[in-house]
Amino acid sequence: MKTTYKILAYVIAAEVAIQSMLIALGIAGLGKWVSEGNIFEKSVMEGEGDLPFPEVIGLMLHGVNGHIVIPALALILLIVSFFARIPGGAKFAGLVLALVAAQALLGGFSRGGIPWMGAVHGFNALLLFAAALYTGRRVAKTAPAQAPATAAA
Amino acid sequence: MKISPRLRLMTAGAATLAVIGPLAWLWQASLLPSTYSVHDHGHGQGHGSHHDGRDLTSLIADPSREADVELTLTARRERFRLASGRQVDGYTLNGRSPGPQITAEVGQLVQVTLVNASVPDGITLHWHGIDVPAAMDGVAGVTQDAVAPGASFTYRFVADRAGTFWYHSHQMSHEQVIGGLLGAVVVRPERPAKAIDVVALTHLYQGVRTINGSDTDLSVPAPPGATARVRVINTDNGPIPMWVTGTPDTAPRLVAVDGTDLNGPGPVERAAILVTSGARADLEVRMPADGSPVRVQIGGPLSVVLGGGTLPPARRPAATLDLLTYGTPAARPLADARPDRAFRYEIGRRPGFLDGVPGLFWTVNGRLYPDIPVFTVAEGDVVRMTIANTSGEVHPMHLHGHRVLVLSRDGVPATGSPWWTDSLNVEDGESYEVAFRAGNPGVWADHCHNLPHAREGLMVHLMYEGITTPFLVGGPAGNSRE
Repeated sequence: MKTTYKILAYVIAAEVAIQSMLIALGIAGLGKWVSEGNIFEKSVMEGEGDLPFPEVIGLMLHGVNGHIVIPALALILLIVSFFARIPGGAKFAGLVLALVAAQALLGGFSRGGIPWMGAVHGFNALLLFAAALYTGRRVAKTAPAQAPATAAA
Repeated sequence: MKISPRLRLMTAGAATLAVIGPLAWLWQASLLPSTYSVHDHGHGQGHGSHHDGRDLTSLIADPSREADVELTLTARRERFRLASGRQVDGYTLNGRSPGPQITAEVGQLVQVTLVNASVPDGITLHWHGIDVPAAMDGVAGVTQDAVAPGASFTYRFVADRAGTFWYHSHQMSHEQVIGGLLGAVVVRPERPAKAIDVVALTHLYQGVRTINGSDTDLSVPAPPGATARVRVINTDNGPIPMWVTGTPDTAPRLVAVDGTDLNGPGPVERAAILVTSGARADLEVRMPADGSPVRVQIGGPLSVVLGGGTLPPARRPAATLDLLTYGTPAARPLADARPDRAFRYEIGRRPGFLDGVPGLFWTVNGRLYPDIPVFTVAEGDVVRMTIANTSGEVHPMHLHGHRVLVLSRDGVPATGSPWWTDSLNVEDGESYEVAFRAGNPGVWADHCHNLPHAREGLMVHLMYEGITTPFLVGGPAGNSRE
């Protein structure tokens, strides 16, 4: 369970890194598409999946990852923390989940007419990355705490 | 303190349940049955009596009357070529997209046989803006079953109002409309004005803007001094601005909106005209006497160019024409009539599950689909509706089977020409009050014409007392939820 917890935390951190790459890839592809003479407008934005440049995959995967994959991972991390017997494990998993929830909402609302939330979305990504990385790393440091628990068993 | 492993496990299990339980409950509660009637959902007045009303399928045009305009449209799912030669994946009608333009004279009976040659999901045709009898409205699962591959359906209706309209599929519309299953309808008045008549149906095919299926400018010969009427149809999911450039004294007039002529439309000086999703705007332009051209820009650099010669595209004017004050007022009996019903259609947004999928979804009056209102009316009612949007995004709201009169926006009364619309651009933070007369019995969709939004739950129904539909969402016909 401890290893699962640790791996999940690292995977979430890696996913955040992937998310930043995907969105940058998508925006760059969009920029290239526009500089080739195409027009970006509201209807184009709505038909995102239909856009004829390959980097659009970045925008789409960013959405799938952010709405489904990462929230699911964070939820599983929290559940695993209940069983993993890591001191403070649930607390940190909860923090990661809270940051993930905030991240999804900030992303959604930033597109839905509140652009400043996009800025917070970018910064919150760094907080989440750091939190997930630390959550994984601290498992090793708290390992001695396992001893009394084992003794109790 | 020592905790037994068993107690620890139980605590962990309880914590897991505490986390998963509410989520699982919300998820499960959001699942839609595979088959249901639009009568079964929603809350409002007039629930439960839908088994003993008049069947919607009996609401048709006079079956004994012969058709004046008759055609067959055959739909295919295929890869096809735009007029410019660019290839796109989508849907065609009679081998092309947009499908053939249907032209009728006011009062004529139009009969269209829709044949599905190869669209696996099934298809329908909805007559956007035309107040057809309910059985002809073309909404899969509400007014008919989707037309399966190999099957056909015949639509018959009287084109009772002159103007610019369009048709499109209303089955899997979030895919089929953007994919090209659509076309223009022009209903001409008995005595048409002497003008060059141009239809400019704009559509986005896989990210590429087109006019009448071509991604190049539409050039129309127009002699000096002539009058041209340009009928712009926005078939896309987002609002599109259009603006006109010519000689310094070229000022177009916006003569009709959504198939209704405006009263006393004055010259539009240095302002863009916003045509929202599903909406139509008819511009009238007088060609300059010196023989120079006029450019009607639609969306971006794509234009209708009237007359010969060159004229470079111009930037969008900063101002946008406000229909609340445009034109000359005229009598509006409906605005003064005492309303029999008043409805609120408040659009918001919140996280949740929709049919098991998590996301940020649109709400109507604070609730997620399908827990949304039903607007029930009796034939002849004067209805007022407040459409308010606090969802963070613009919504082009479209009521089937009726046109509505705009009374006010954000409490500011409409003081221009009577403004009748069927596709109303409701920006975030705006609140419109509209009125309509319930004069077309049926079950009518009232939804956002940003079609993915309708799929995401921004879809309400206006129901007439005593009218029932035998059709089901889902079911053997695979009618999509819309």
